[in-house]
Amino acid sequence: MSDDLFLDSFRKLLDGLGADPWPELSASGFLDVLRPESEGGAGLDLSGLFPLAFETGRRAAPPAILQTLLARLVDPEVLDCVDAAPVLAAGGVPAETGRALCAAADAAVMAGLIDALQSMTLDHASTRRQFGREISKFQAIQHQIAVMAEEVMAARMAAETALMGAPLGVSGPAAAVAKLRCGEAALVCSGVAHAVHGAIGVSAEHALHRYTGALHRLRLSHGGEAWWARRLGEWALSRRDDAATLARSL
Amino acid sequence: MLAPLVPAAIGPEDEALRAEVRAFLAERLAGVPGALRARTWMGFDADFSRDLAARGWVGLTLPVEFGGGGRSPFARFVLIEEVLAAGAPVAAHWIAERQSAPLLLRYGTEAQRRDIVPRICRGEAFFCIGMSEPNSGSDLASVRTRAERTANGWRLNGSKIWTTYGHKAHYMVALVRTSGGPDDRQAGLSQLLIDLKTPGVTARPIRDLAGDEHFSEVFFEDVDLPEDALIGQEGQGWSQVNAELAFERSGPERLYSSTVLIDEWMDFIRSRGGPTESEAELAGRMLARLATLRNMSLAVTGQLARGESPVVEASMVKDLGASFEQSIPALITDHLASVEGPVPAPLLATLDYLAGMSPTFSLRGGTREILRGIIARGLGLR
Repeated sequence: MSDDLFLDSFRKLLDGLGADPWPELSASGFLDVLRPESEGGAGLDLSGLFPLAFETGRRAAPPAILQTLLARLVDPEVLDCVDAAPVLAAGGVPAETGRALCAAADAAVMAGLIDALQSMTLDHASTRRQFGREISKFQAIQHQIAVMAEEVMAARMAAETALMGAPLGVSGPAAAVAKLRCGEAALVCSGVAHAVHGAIGVSAEHALHRYTGALHRLRLSHGGEAWWARRLGEWALSRRDDAATLARSL
Repeated sequence: MLAPLVPAAIGPEDEALRAEVRAFLAERLAGVPGALRARTWMGFDADFSRDLAARGWVGLTLPVEFGGGGRSPFARFVLIEEVLAAGAPVAAHWIAERQSAPLLLRYGTEAQRRDIVPRICRGEAFFCIGMSEPNSGSDLASVRTRAERTANGWRLNGSKIWTTYGHKAHYMVALVRTSGGPDDRQAGLSQLLIDLKTPGVTARPIRDLAGDEHFSEVFFEDVDLPEDALIGQEGQGWSQVNAELAFERSGPERLYSSTVLIDEWMDFIRSRGGPTESEAELAGRMLARLATLRNMSLAVTGQLARGESPVVEASMVKDLGASFEQSIPALITDHLASVEGPVPAPLLATLDYLAGMSPTFSLRGGTREILRGIIARGLGLR
């Protein structure tokens, strides 16, 4: 299956999920894409996982899909797993590797959620009229959305860079950059999205809070910004390299 | 919506350049204090530029037949990120190499290309860019400096200000009015190539807040220029300038302005033994931003390598990069203010320089507000 078709069928699967998504997800085979082909999986590496995580975020689909996918690296029976770290640890994966993998996957879902926030915000700003014109025509709104767009791009880049290579070969420092940078971007973008949507965005029926709420919960999982910043900083200061050399290895 | 940036990687052939450049810089910059190195592409040293050129490192991406290196944009990325991160004084050739040579190759006459571009690649012809005027800052379309047609060329009157090294460059590429009036805005503007030795040109350096003379005011009084001083088409100056700005805004010079300070600060922290939690956190926060920006800048370089014109993406990287560069002196000041015991004087000197000059990072090459306007247009908001 080509990459495009593969991703397309994953999108269709997500869009058609019912109240209990797990039987369908399980039957689809997508939960085993990281497992070796010899064991019925697709042998996907992390760069293949990134678009799946991003699309999951784009739809505010349950992040447990990603965690389940990671947990099934060591336990093919797992379903509806909200945190793969203990499962990976029980399966013999070093705790640091497991945590980095979970955090990197979180970051990729966050990048997708943030991307969706931007689409919703652009859409709302271009249709909502105040003072006789679309609010997107006001410079103050334009500049807030420009900042949001920069954060969207940065978050995606940080997450995509961390999701490379073999799942258990994930780089701790790159995962730190991803979780930290996506956490920072989540704060900025959630703020701009809510500001632009006004009171409409805090009504229960509006979809916005499903996205900002999911971002908030992901900021709380597998280490926050300061936690990862400290790990990254300890790594950096334990070496003698200059900042540019350190950045190059991330 | 914009297409996402595609992560790019530097190939082994281009990466191989790095060790050679690092060795050269380590030797040439040994003992140069951080406060001086922090000037990087604001530091003018003609000898240094010529030494770089002698190694083939000025005009690396320009065609071989014009004295360039014929290498890929990624090779240039490797070279300039090393040069900038080390804080080498590269102002003398910077603008000529980055903007003026590509501009002349695209729009210049055959004689200009044959005469000037090879001299740029040898580090012998330095350029400045004449944009701002006393009453035209961000509102560039309001420039009043005017060139009138004469029997055999142009006569130029007016002045430019805040021109980087206008008093040391050999040539200026200026945006001037060649037809119409201020109400015509972008229409009627053209780019002119001005040999700054021409009678009627005077340049006066302006001292900056750090005591340097890095920018200047340049006056034109009945300056007679030849016919071929017009670059490209008459009246097309605005669009030509904007294409040029994509090159100016996309490079790593928008990320590395404060790395000399980060390096000196990290060395200081290392010298004090294991970092405290807050020191590790600060190092991590700075590094995460730098690494992400570098990957974004590299992706934009990939777009340039594919022949795209990433005007909006370059503006995004520059805006984000300038904010990052500006945050460094503030964050490090906050940390050093709470340190017990003495802080090394060289580190404080670098900090003082960058604390003073960092506001310029979101002014030069397009202000934050101009960039956000470009981004908003790219997003379809205006």
